[in-house]
Amino acid sequence: MLKYWRLWLLLIMVIGAALAIVLKPHYSGVQIAYVYETSPAKGLLEQGMIISQVNGERVYNADQWMGLARDYTGNVTLTVDRKDYRFYVNESGLGIDVMDIETMNLDFGLDIKGGTRIILQPKENASGEMIDQIISTLQTRANIYGLREVRFFPIKSLDGQYFVQIEAAGLGREVVTELLSRQGNFEAKISKPVFLSGGKGNFQLGENTYPVELIGNRTVRLGNLTLETNQTFEMDDIEFEYVNATETGNELFFLGTAYKGEDIELVYSDPQHSGVIPRGQFFSFYFGILVSERGAERFAKITSGVPSQMDLQSGDYYLKDSEIFLYLDERLVSSLRIASTLGGKIYTTPQIEGSRETKEEASKEKLNLQTILRSGALPVSLETVSVGVISPTLGKGFVTSAIYAALFAAVAVIIVVFIRYRKIGVSIPLVFIGLSEIIIILGIAATNDWMVWASVLALNALLIGTAWWKKHEVDVLAWTGALLIPILGMLTWTIDLPAIGGIIAAIGVGVDNMIVIADETLSKSGTERKILYTIKDKIKRAFFIIFGSASTTIAAMVPLMSLGVGLVRGFAITTIIGVLVGILITRPAYARIVEIGTDREKT
Amino acid sequence: MKIPNYKLFIAVPILLLLLSAGILITQYNQTGEWFQRSIELKGGTLITINTVERLDTAGIENELRKKFAPVNVRETRSFEGYGTLIETSSEADADEIIGEIEAMGVETADISIETIGPSLGLAFWSQAQLAIITAFIFMGIIVFVIFRTFVPSVAVIMSAMSDIVITLGFMQVFGIELSLAGLAALLMLIGYSVDTDIMLTSRLLRESEEKTLGEKIRRALKTGLTMTLTSIAALTALLLSSISPVLSQIAMVLLMGLVIDIMNTWLMNSVILKWYCERRGLI
Repeated sequence: MLKYWRLWLLLIMVIGAALAIVLKPHYSGVQIAYVYETSPAKGLLEQGMIISQVNGERVYNADQWMGLARDYTGNVTLTVDRKDYRFYVNESGLGIDVMDIETMNLDFGLDIKGGTRIILQPKENASGEMIDQIISTLQTRANIYGLREVRFFPIKSLDGQYFVQIEAAGLGREVVTELLSRQGNFEAKISKPVFLSGGKGNFQLGENTYPVELIGNRTVRLGNLTLETNQTFEMDDIEFEYVNATETGNELFFLGTAYKGEDIELVYSDPQHSGVIPRGQFFSFYFGILVSERGAERFAKITSGVPSQMDLQSGDYYLKDSEIFLYLDERLVSSLRIASTLGGKIYTTPQIEGSRETKEEASKEKLNLQTILRSGALPVSLETVSVGVISPTLGKGFVTSAIYAALFAAVAVIIVVFIRYRKIGVSIPLVFIGLSEIIIILGIAATNDWMVWASVLALNALLIGTAWWKKHEVDVLAWTGALLIPILGMLTWTIDLPAIGGIIAAIGVGVDNMIVIADETLSKSGTERKILYTIKDKIKRAFFIIFGSASTTIAAMVPLMSLGVGLVRGFAITTIIGVLVGILITRPAYARIVEIGTDREKT
Repeated sequence: MKIPNYKLFIAVPILLLLLSAGILITQYNQTGEWFQRSIELKGGTLITINTVERLDTAGIENELRKKFAPVNVRETRSFEGYGTLIETSSEADADEIIGEIEAMGVETADISIETIGPSLGLAFWSQAQLAIITAFIFMGIIVFVIFRTFVPSVAVIMSAMSDIVITLGFMQVFGIELSLAGLAALLMLIGYSVDTDIMLTSRLLRESEEKTLGEKIRRALKTGLTMTLTSIAALTALLLSSISPVLSQIAMVLLMGLVIDIMNTWLMNSVILKWYCERRGLI
């Protein structure tokens, strides 16, 4: 039996690949996609775990889960990874999102399962390091925000331009514009009024006081500076802007920067420091931040010397004409009056507020801002250069239609090959080998399959070792394949449409090669019947042609892969792997089948 | 079978090559572009609406033209019904267009939107050009390494190049825009084209059981045609299944390319090789 070791090799590979595709630790249940902050399971259950039972009842899919878990209150027992977890669910719900378990270990691309693909470009030239930093900040934002299954890739164009590609299964465009592509430059500015009498006044910064004088219509002299309206300047290490003077000339307005993004030490999200409350027709959101000592000192300096004024409605005292304005990327987020008790004081816990029309919008904006402040600013601002929203319904019937198309193509090839050779023994193995190639390629692309492939590697080594020991022929090609392909099997890549194109390309080249083998070995030239060459020689000659064609195909694909045209990389990888599987595993096996066939004919 | 003036066969592929080059040059003179590119390679917005019923593309186009300047509406057949493709510039607001279409009473549940900014399109395009050129150079080097003789190697490379140029010419005639998928197909075509050429060249140049050159060519033709026809059969099956526009475009471009390759391999490459073998006395 060892005589047919190349066929055994193929069989091991096909079974290994099939296992790599379908072998999973769980076959029923639902996978946790997200656990909300409010969930009683927060901290106990995590994304990716499999829930198999709810109160002892089996769950098979996400729809069924919806029926069981939606609006559920009271005690609930979830069986997760064979362990029971008990929770008490209040009216805010169980707070767990689930999805169906993937039936195969294949990572299908967005163009198959649907989703959003966005490409962002830095507005100014960015280095590779900056791109890494951008991606890590974006990743942080995605994690804090609770986005599921978001992936970020850098893309580099030929002229050295970098892009950031974001892929997500379900990502609305508003999340990108409101969360991801925002640079996140935070600034808190405080308006500082200076009251003049007779055109003169004092600009007080903590313990320092500078004389101010109105010298022209709007022009002022501050210390030894002469300032026009909207002119910026620096005083005691604080950035200021001279904004304007009143018509009457008895009040000047300055704007001082108290905090910046780097001053934020903590963003509060606990219910004591943050929340959403109805206010009139709107909903207000608020959350506290903790700022650094230096920022708090700047706050104290800017607000020093500002008089208080009573609010006639509430009777509370606030600083007169002084407010704190919070900007994100130069867009005003909130403006708040400052309680008179805080004037001139070190104040480390300012609050950020805002309002939106609905409760959902308010909560969302609160989360956006908290996320951006927590993750920090991006080194450069980003611009959306490409948005692709792919309808998931394309995905639903896709796998089935793809299987039909493959079978349809297989039948077409069988017919052509049968017409040519009139031998079932040539055409059936050819198609069988083609299909086994598809399985091996998909098995290599499969995720979490290293154990399967390690076993295949061990089995292969055992097989070729025994065959060699039993004095079967030396075949460097098949040996390389036996060891290399299982190692490649640990690779994982996304099966997207271009990758499927790659499979088709590889199979096409494969079928072509097998025809060469068949023609070389079955050759019986019309006039010359004398056998000049043995079957082995003929196969050798066939392999010369096959090598030529495989290496040119790989050569044509390598540029596609290394150039980083991200969208067709899957095509290149799949084609290259497919061609390698072909020359190293399936072609030697097919040659052996044809050899057996001709041996039989002779005897 | 004796063919007296076999060298004349080469006129057919040469004429087609010149014709295709002519098409591309005319295109370049008229539009400043060698061939039409899809939005992926030049920037723009593409909205695909999949419906069971057929939509009135001309009506949609007329309606959208009133508000959005450059709009082009096309129709494709998809696996489960019809696909309506709306192409416009990347500045246009896709949501607004969809709103407009919904207002016409079109079901837009199954919709895909793709926007590529012009700068990104340009980046993809320059990468695509480099990919084709490098693929060609790599292929050429390998062909030279395999055969180590000048004329047969050049014949293989010429035939591959001619395949691509004629395919691009045909794509203009049939109004197929070059997309990333099409580019992938063209690169694949290099592989297929070289496949048959290598088979032919090695059959002719290496020793074998056949005595005469004619017999060698005839046997190579049989193998080569089987190779190409199986590919054509499989691709036709793929095209008829029309499971996705991306795969359909790959199939379409490759089908054209393979038919052209039959001509280039057997009317050009084989003629050059036969002439070469006769000159060198390799019979």
